[in-house]
Amino acid sequence: MSEETYSALWPRGEKTVEIAPLAPRLDTLEGKTIAFMWDYLFRGDEIFPILEAELSAAYPNMNFVGYTTFGSTHGSREGQIIADLPDTLAEHKVDAIISGMGC
Amino acid sequence: MLRASAAAEAAGVPSSSLVCDGFLGQGATTAVGLGLPNLPMAKVPGHVDTQTDNELRDNLTSVTVNAVIENLTAAQPAAVMIPEPGPQDVVMEGSFDEINRFFYENGWSDGLPIVPPTRAKIESFLAFTDLPTEHVIGKLLPDNREATVWNVAVNGVMAGCKPQYMPVLVALAEAMADPGYGVEHSGNTPGAETLITINGPIIKDLEFNYEQGALRDGFMANTTVGRWWRLYLRNVAGFILHQNDKGTFGNTWRVVLAENEDALAKIDWPPHSADFGHARGDNVVTISRFTGGDVIASVFGQKPEDMLPYLADALISQSGWQLIFTVGMADGSYTPMLVLSPILAETMAKAGWSKGDVRQWLFENARIPAWKFEQYIVEFTNFYSGGRSMFELAQLGKANELYGVSKDPDRLVPLVCDPMDIQIVISGDPGRTNAQVFSHNGILGFPTARAIRLPNDWKNKLTGAQ
Repeated sequence: MSEETYSALWPRGEKTVEIAPLAPRLDTLEGKTIAFMWDYLFRGDEIFPILEAELSAAYPNMNFVGYTTFGSTHGSREGQIIADLPDTLAEHKVDAIISGMGC
Repeated sequence: MLRASAAAEAAGVPSSSLVCDGFLGQGATTAVGLGLPNLPMAKVPGHVDTQTDNELRDNLTSVTVNAVIENLTAAQPAAVMIPEPGPQDVVMEGSFDEINRFFYENGWSDGLPIVPPTRAKIESFLAFTDLPTEHVIGKLLPDNREATVWNVAVNGVMAGCKPQYMPVLVALAEAMADPGYGVEHSGNTPGAETLITINGPIIKDLEFNYEQGALRDGFMANTTVGRWWRLYLRNVAGFILHQNDKGTFGNTWRVVLAENEDALAKIDWPPHSADFGHARGDNVVTISRFTGGDVIASVFGQKPEDMLPYLADALISQSGWQLIFTVGMADGSYTPMLVLSPILAETMAKAGWSKGDVRQWLFENARIPAWKFEQYIVEFTNFYSGGRSMFELAQLGKANELYGVSKDPDRLVPLVCDPMDIQIVISGDPGRTNAQVFSHNGILGFPTARAIRLPNDWKNKLTGAQ
């Protein structure tokens, strides 16, 4: 007796996003404004000051926008913070962000 | 964290995402779902929580800082889209074993045998909804895939559901896609698992078990709908272990918890779904994500005042780090669940207590010293940094005022911000004096309910299917 065969269909869903280009990278960090964004987890309050000190040592004219400007990116306000982000970045003339912490 | 980076990139602002070693894999797959497979990440060696201050500093200065600079200034590799099948494409023809092997090897199965999703099987499910086949229910993070009536049915077939379960599955997909639930967090490291509760006449229509063994596999409706949930998280939301699902330990999917509405009717208590605005008699599913729980065996007593201290103690003992969802991360979103066996609820009701009375008593008595609460959210976990006490947070408007009435570290504070935050469900062995407590995952799986829409001619269709 031959075994029954089946034609099985794909169980997934179509992706709703296309691949998007990254933002153009900066030619240098010298003189640029960097914003820190934090999910308020995993020692970010210790890590960002170290990064700020190290980057400032390498690029003396960098400026920084602290994570408290944005609030936690992993709390009940995450959606609003992200929705507002283009305006917030523009308001503070931010050239690049450093976002943490994924652990 | 990566969603913030993606938003910045979309706004034309370059980003660097700080990622511990163990998060790199999840970061990479999450980035694909965001449409930015080349989203740059700066590695932080090891896991920061176990490093000394000097180790952390050394790791940052020797590895992370250079990676950040490169992320922000160097051209990143080009991204390419990997082609995928279409939603209704046949992906494999073969025997039962061959189909199962192919699905498993492609990450589309949970490791148990699946029912091959053939067109005929899928169409038998579609007959149990009036929605169009291509109807888009929503999009599911982190993969950002469309949840459709079609793929709900495909996964229903695979899970071993009966076609007539389709209205329940559609309602669950709608709840999963509700932004208030927070499906995107389903791969977080605590590895919580969703519990589906169900109310309404559909419990009996579909023969859900709501009595003895209510949380055990063994009844087809409870078991297969629970399995569908996890398959759908896998195949449509994209939660796959070692990729987007970072549960440190995780749980197996839970079977559906059906409430005992006969017992509720006897004592005139409202159903669980009433907490979410639904009327008695409505068919409703509710989803919440729970980190764990325990059975509370042999609740002894002849009146509520005898029984409730033990239940309050259980709520306390099952609430630890999760209190960050009461104060700290997402205030007031901690909603633990207490499942009472019918005899416990009946004993309380016989003394004249409503469900609201029980909640109020638990709210007022399931309390812990403020110092202990702070220990969970600060000292033990470092979830809340900055050195502020709950009293100070309340004074600053960053915690519910309940936590700011005194500076006394020994004052007793509630586990939740409101009596309604304690979910109560009646189910299980009607004659046994046991209860069950589930601790909750806050906004990372917030209670979300959806009405189940039955198709026209439901009763006749159901009779035909049975």
